[in-house]
Formats: sequence, C-alpha cells, structure tokens
Amino acid sequence: MSLLEVDGVSVRFGGVRALTNVTFHVNRGEIFGLVGPNGAGKTTLFNAVTGVVRPTSGRISFDDHEIGHLKPHRRARLGIGRTFQNLQLFGAMTVLENLMLPVDAFARRGLLSDAFRLPMASFEEKRASERARAMLHFLKLDGIEGLRANDLPVGMQRRVELARALCLRPKLLLLDEPASGLDARETAELAEALPQIRERFGTTMLLVDHDMALVMRVCDHITVLDFGEVICSGPPSVVQADERVIRAYLGEEVA
Amino acid sequence: MNDTTATLRRGTVVVALVLAVVVPLLLSDYYQFEASEIAVLAILALSLVLITGFVGQISFCQYSFAAIGAFTVGSLSGGHHWSYWLALVVAVAFSAVVGILVGIPALRLSGLFLAILTVAVALFFDRFLLAPGTWDSFSGGLEPWRIGRPSFFGIKLDGPYAFYLFTLGAFAVVAWLVWNLRIGKTGRVLRAIRGSEIAASMIGIDVTLWKLAAFGLSAGLAGLAGGLLAADIGAVSPPSFDFLHSVTIAAIVTVMGVESIGSAAVGALALIGGPELLTHTPISPDYFQLIVGVVLIVQLVFAPQGVVAKTAEDVKKLIAKRGGDHTSLSPNATTQQMTKVHT
Repeated sequence: MSLLEVDGVSVRFGGVRALTNVTFHVNRGEIFGLVGPNGAGKTTLFNAVTGVVRPTSGRISFDDHEIGHLKPHRRARLGIGRTFQNLQLFGAMTVLENLMLPVDAFARRGLLSDAFRLPMASFEEKRASERARAMLHFLKLDGIEGLRANDLPVGMQRRVELARALCLRPKLLLLDEPASGLDARETAELAEALPQIRERFGTTMLLVDHDMALVMRVCDHITVLDFGEVICSGPPSVVQADERVIRAYLGEEVA
Repeated sequence: MNDTTATLRRGTVVVALVLAVVVPLLLSDYYQFEASEIAVLAILALSLVLITGFVGQISFCQYSFAAIGAFTVGSLSGGHHWSYWLALVVAVAFSAVVGILVGIPALRLSGLFLAILTVAVALFFDRFLLAPGTWDSFSGGLEPWRIGRPSFFGIKLDGPYAFYLFTLGAFAVVAWLVWNLRIGKTGRVLRAIRGSEIAASMIGIDVTLWKLAAFGLSAGLAGLAGGLLAADIGAVSPPSFDFLHSVTIAAIVTVMGVESIGSAAVGALALIGGPELLTHTPISPDYFQLIVGVVLIVQLVFAPQGVVAKTAEDVKKLIAKRGGDHTSLSPNATTQQMTKVHT
C-alpha cells in the first residue's frame, strides 16, 4: 500500500551526482522522515518528486500512477503538496490570498467569468475564502488573514506556508525543513501539529529536517541519505542505533 | 480601511469620468480629436498594465500588437471594404494570436532577455513586416489605408466629439474588465506567478497557460487600441507604429505606476498632453522624449511604485492621519496588530 514509490532514482547535474540510485516507498498515512547531512540530496529528491528537476534515470510513481513525465502543476493537482526550505510565500499578497490560490488553481472558472463578474466567479471566490479561513482556524492562525505575508515573523510564515500547502488538500505533503528558523516552543507546536494534520486530513507526509529530535519524535519510518545514496532505512529506533548513520553524522573516527 | 479606500476610489472614478465627458465639450474640434487619441492610447497603456503590472513581463512591442490591429482593420476595411466592426473583431483576434506566439519564446525568458526579445519583435515588425514591398496587401505599401468613421448602432460617429465619446466608452469598458480581472482569481494567480513561478506551480497553477493567456489578452487589447486608432485617424501607415513609440509608452506607464489602472489613463493624458503643452512654451515638443527620460530616472529613485500609485498612497495616509483611527495602512499599525496576534 505505497502512496509514493521512488525506484532507482538518480539525478546528475553535469558531472555532479546529486542522487544515486535512491529507492524508498512511503506508505499511506505514514509520516516518513528523510534525513542526512547537508548536501546529501534531500532537496533534490523533493524537486524530483514535485517535478522541478527531471531524474536522469529511475521511476517515480504516486498513487499507482507513473508521474515522471508530468509537469509540476499536474503533480500538485494529483495531490502532492509542498513547503519550502527557503520560504516561498507570495510576500506582497495577504495571508488569505496566499491560501486562496491553491483553491483557485482547481476552480472551474477563468478569464471570462472573472472579467464579466459572472455569478460563478463570486461563488468560487466565496468557496476559496471559506476554505482558506477554515484552514487558518485549524492551524490557530485566526486574525492574520489581512496581513501581508512578508510582514509576519518567520515562525508564523512557516505555519502559513503549511496552511497554504494543506489548502491544496494533498494526499502527500512534502515538508522541507519545516522547523528551520523556529524557536523551541514553535518546534514543539509543529511536532504536535503534524500528527493532528494526519488525523484530520489523512495526509501522508515526507519530512526533511535537521532537528533529529523532531524527526525521531514524529516519524514512523526514517530513511538516511548520504552523498546522494540511501545508507539506512527503518523505524526511528533502528536508525538511531545504526553504525553508518552515526559515522555519516559525526564523521569517521580517525584510527 | 477598505471602506474609505473604496469610497475614495469610486469618487475619483466618477469625477474623472464627468470631467472626461464635459471638458472636451468646451474645447475645439482639434482638441476633441486629441482627446479621442488619449482614450485610445489609454487602452494601449492598459495592455501594458496587464502584462507588465500584473504578470511582471516587460514588453517593448505593444505598438507592434497595435499595428497588427490597425493594419488588419486597414487592409480588411480599407482594402476589401469589410464592415469596420467585423474587421475590428478579426483584428483583435489576430493580435491576440500573435501575442500568444510571442509569448511562447517569452515563457523561458525574464528581465533583460525578455526585454531584448520584445525589442527584436518590435524591430521585426517595424523594419521588415511593415516596410514597403514586404507584405503590401497588409501594410498598404507606400499608400496609407483610408478608413471611414463607422456607425455605432445607427449613430454615425463622424463628429470628433461623437467619436471621442465612443473611444472613452471603449476605454471605460476595457478598464472595468481589467479591474475585474485584477480583483478576482485571475489577478491573484497572475500576481502569484510574478512572485514565484515555482511556488505557483507547486500549488497547482498552470504557469505556462496563464502566462500565454496574459500575453494573448494584452496583445488583444493592444490590437483593439490599434483598430480604434485606425478609425480615429482615418488612415493607417507604418510611421504611426514606429518602434520608439513602444518605448515611450512603456516609459510613461512606468513613471505613472505600472500596476495601477488609473495610471494608464493618466499616462495616456501625459503622452498626448505633454507635447501639446510644450508647443505653448519656448521649448520644442521634440524635447518631450528627453523630459520623459529625466522624469523616469527621478521617479525610479524617489517613487519606484509610480507617480499615480504614490499619490494614491499619500492620500490614503493623509486621510488615515486626519481620521487618526483604525484606517491607517502605515507599517507601524501593521506591526502593532501583528504583535497583538503573536502574543
């Protein structure tokens, strides 16, 4: 019952091997951790899954469909949502507008109904804003919908970005270092929020972060990447004790 | 805050419309003709607001799209005696198609490279396609196309004031449509694409489709302006669509504020009114371009958002200060509100 299957995926940029023959499967309903030192290829893997980069070889399938040939927006519409390591909110727009956009992307209306203010347009507008407000409420972000995204502190921006990704109603949510820039309290809130999101929306999650305590706490399964290759995979307790993982993180002992 | 702003905006629009209808009535035929040219150029300026202001795509070839509109009307209506209205519809559609074709290579470009591409398109039209001998059945060769003034639902638009009212109405309708796009989903999606194409595609927005639609729409509007200009002047010949006009209108719209619809109207007013004013001074109107250049530099330094947008902001701030209440839009108020939320 895998939702996401990454099979033998390699990505090369010129002579640089960003990913080499990476294989792992994410089960439905799982919170799956992907860890590894800087430059291990975690973000590249996210880019390959979302369609920003094209794998040199290998196969990616989602929800029993091969998605390797699909453009990024098609993958998003199939149900792959994402947050970014370096926040990608639309800074000049309000929080509410940011959250309405994923609903807009699905809406069956376009230039004509907008230009002539057809009834459909205001109906869909209302629907989008209602869904956005509900999501803000769920993530305890009430009251900020009218503020510009850029004017918010980083911790709140991260939560707004999470809310925006959830407005897409994704089956799979890719979280790229969601705890970076957060203080201890905010990180603890995030660790609480992720299982709640899964419970409420049934979202499967693929999580990348450097905060090992967070990853160990929320993930059901962890895969460790080093220099673009999978070096270990299993439940947190197994990964924690793995020799290669400790070496990758702390460096080899000098004999 | 939205109530005050909306009332203010509505008031400004109503006053501007009343002035636009009444003032030319008091002027001579010549100025009424100039007024209709302003209304038509305002539509052209709107096409720039759409592509540059909403989507952030630079274009130095809006006059080329206008030329397609004008020469389509010229060749069909002047050369083949089609009805003006039918020719105008074909002109708008044809310009939109060419806009989409230009948009395809533009998809992969931005900033400087996009600017160069549009310059290349403009020069291709200006120096090749419209040059005598290349495609005379479209460009008219050395003879300009002659176009009579059309009738609008039985009303003959041959007087300068009648035609001016018609062009003003056309501008008002187009401005209303563009405004609706701006405040609706379309405006939001286009601004998102301008913000970050990757982030937009990650939430399911088809960036390619929307950008091509924006290019098509912008070029279609420019083509409409071209087709109206043809009937306004009564003749179509290549020099009216010189490449430099595209640069001047881009500069003026930037000075006024490329994101605002009002600046399209003010920009067109400046474009025609500026040289006209200069003829009443010892300075030759030939210096108009130079003045625009200097003003552009000053504006980019002191009011990068544009003159019209800056004025609107200042007025809002002034009202907020007078009112001294919650209507404030100042960064201070935002931070206060934010801290409240945060704590």
